[in-house]
Amino acid sequence: MRLVIALSVAAALAVFLLYTSFAGGATPSLKPSQLSGHRGKLSVSGYVLGPVAGDPHASGGLRFKLRDIDGPHQSVRVPVVFHGSEPDLFRAGRHVYVVGTYNGASLAATSITTKCPSKYAPAKS
Amino acid sequence: MQDLGRAALALAFGLVVYAAVGGGLGAYTRRRRLVASARNALFASFGATAVAAIVLLNAFRIRDFSFAYVAEHSSKALPFPYVYTAFWGGQEGSLLLWLLVLTGVGSTAVAFNRRLTTEVLTWTVPVLGGVASFFALLLVFVASPFATQVAPADGAGLNPSLQNPYMMIHPPLLYLGYVGLTIPFAFAAGALLSGRFDERWIVATRRWTILAWTALGIGILLGAKWAYEEVGWGGYYAWDPVENAALMPWLAATAYLHSVMVQEKKNMLRVWNATLVTGAFCLSIFGTFLTRSGLINSIHSFAQSPIGAWFLGFIALVATFSTVLIIWRLPLLRARTKLESLASREAAFLYNNLLLVAFTLTVLWGVAFPLLSDAVRGEAVTVGPPYYDFFLKVFGLPLLLLMGIGPLVAWRRTSLGALGETVLGPAVAALAVGLILIALGAGSSTAGLLAYTFSAFALAAIVLEFARGTRARKALGASSWWSAFSGLVARNRRRYGGYVVHAAIVLLAIGVAGSSAYGATKIQRFRPGDSMNIRGYKLTYLNSVERHAANHDELRARIAVTENGKSIGTIMAGKNSYFAEQQTSNEVAIKHDWLRAQDLFVIGDEFKFGKGNTVKSVYLKVLVKPLVNLIWLGGFVFLLGSLITLWPDAREQRRLAARMEPGPVAVTP
Repeated sequence: MRLVIALSVAAALAVFLLYTSFAGGATPSLKPSQLSGHRGKLSVSGYVLGPVAGDPHASGGLRFKLRDIDGPHQSVRVPVVFHGSEPDLFRAGRHVYVVGTYNGASLAATSITTKCPSKYAPAKS
Repeated sequence: MQDLGRAALALAFGLVVYAAVGGGLGAYTRRRRLVASARNALFASFGATAVAAIVLLNAFRIRDFSFAYVAEHSSKALPFPYVYTAFWGGQEGSLLLWLLVLTGVGSTAVAFNRRLTTEVLTWTVPVLGGVASFFALLLVFVASPFATQVAPADGAGLNPSLQNPYMMIHPPLLYLGYVGLTIPFAFAAGALLSGRFDERWIVATRRWTILAWTALGIGILLGAKWAYEEVGWGGYYAWDPVENAALMPWLAATAYLHSVMVQEKKNMLRVWNATLVTGAFCLSIFGTFLTRSGLINSIHSFAQSPIGAWFLGFIALVATFSTVLIIWRLPLLRARTKLESLASREAAFLYNNLLLVAFTLTVLWGVAFPLLSDAVRGEAVTVGPPYYDFFLKVFGLPLLLLMGIGPLVAWRRTSLGALGETVLGPAVAALAVGLILIALGAGSSTAGLLAYTFSAFALAAIVLEFARGTRARKALGASSWWSAFSGLVARNRRRYGGYVVHAAIVLLAIGVAGSSAYGATKIQRFRPGDSMNIRGYKLTYLNSVERHAANHDELRARIAVTENGKSIGTIMAGKNSYFAEQQTSNEVAIKHDWLRAQDLFVIGDEFKFGKGNTVKSVYLKVLVKPLVNLIWLGGFVFLLGSLITLWPDAREQRRLAARMEPGPVAVTP
């Protein structure tokens, strides 16, 4: 019986590995400073820099820039254009999780999630 | 007052370290007085931690902003109840709550089981003391809630999203769940250390495990309800690492609660159970490590402090300790009986365990994948909802089916003929439901259709079990059908309470399938008088209204709603702007249709202003969520089933007491 259990768990794990490796559901998860050299669909966690301009429902979209939340590369700024529903609690100064397509110069966002503020606290040095 | 708080925490730290070290030494050398004093130290640590908690609560009450923690998480304008729930609004307060619950629950569990498990308890106290020492150490040396500062004029306030009734209950329930899982772990470790790995520790911790599991389950559901109503994106679960951090130990504990019945009944799966209970505990700590370390990208934002490394070290310590302990006691843990048939109740439990553990590992893999891919490929890669949704179907649908089959199968063995005869009724019911749903157009989603059909099967099996039992009791002389039914449940609370929990999971499955596979969404710009039609509803934007509240301004779009031409009222969707926090939150409008368990969900997406700062138009996002209310109804049924299972049963206590009495010594001729 133990052999059955071990084999089943191992088989299940193998399926996970194969699926996550080949099914294409995975996207690179990067900081703004790591975007250089990347193209295509990816997700970025960053800090929203003002001014936040435009209209998410207009053709020009909502426009803002992202920088790293922490670390030494906070001078790197990535322009973001977003069309859709502005997320709850979104504003300059918030941490956001953006999914979209990067063309080497700007990020066309398909979804923005303002990081949930549960137990939110500013980063401590 | 900060000094009193710090002193209380330092005292608590000293007491739990003594409970761990002194208790361990006492257990090893069999010195009763040392063992008793370690136990008393554990009890006293709860008192000391409670003093620290009261000091912090009082600081929130009087808005003493010289407490840095109070200034960071409250403000003068923060309304009454939230000024207290801000206690766990940050990292330091959360850790204090964890220690408070741990010492409280641990002391109570030890006090309640003094007679039942004397030998086991001797080693359980040092294990509990060891776990509590870790949290007390963090609070004293790493993340103290009693840091002082020059008091600012006002505090930063509590984040608007946390100013919600669900957030008053959700975190403490999760902590009760996480901490509660320490109890079975500590008793299992105590049993292994003492060499008394019979079912006593299981009996001693059964209710504590169910309590922790229930708290965790309800906590997860309340978090989902909060996300649904407060975060305003139209969903309730985003497969975020923080959400998964609570789901993983709950799944592991669910597997354990099932497999432990096999150990009690057949004395099998002892290694498996020891591993599962350790795994559930480690997963509760692992989730905290993930979120606190800042290593994983999450939609939740946490302080990125070095505290994550402490958690990683603690997990490594617990995992090593538990592995060594299990390997050391392997001869003691070997099963005395074997699985007789693959078509038996115990085999059904085994399949259930494999699916639950596989799903837990899948979620764990998904959560840890960015770390692993970063280590292997040098690039963090995340897996999103499609990954989790896929595996939810792969493991969840067979689990639904097993939930129906399991209770109908006999212990030891069942012939395939007998099994077929037993499941025939539920299978016919499920087939009929499936065909009706196809005729009604539910075939657009295969997974949704399968979920509905398997749910019907499981629900029919549960009803069949209740009907059979009631009929049997009536035949045995119950005065009425009601007394037969109530007597059946009262005499077998664990079994029938479990079936009620199964019914709750079925409701949950139907709700998730309905709301995710058969929903509708539309976004439109409205000027006064504009309308939108969606799934039989007609929404007409009337105007916008503003209101000034104590700590925020409200802006709402008034929307008249008709359903199939009949007015069903006016709803208000919009935004709140909080002054102290300088943040805006979505305040959604939800129109419940209780009869169909359906919601009309409206988000006031964006307001456009014209001359005189008056609202010219508004973008509304409208969602129809079929059957979503079954998820919340499932929460109530889940709680009911858990309470039935938890309710004390004098007959069971007598049975257990008789079993636990040392029998006559066998004399070999």
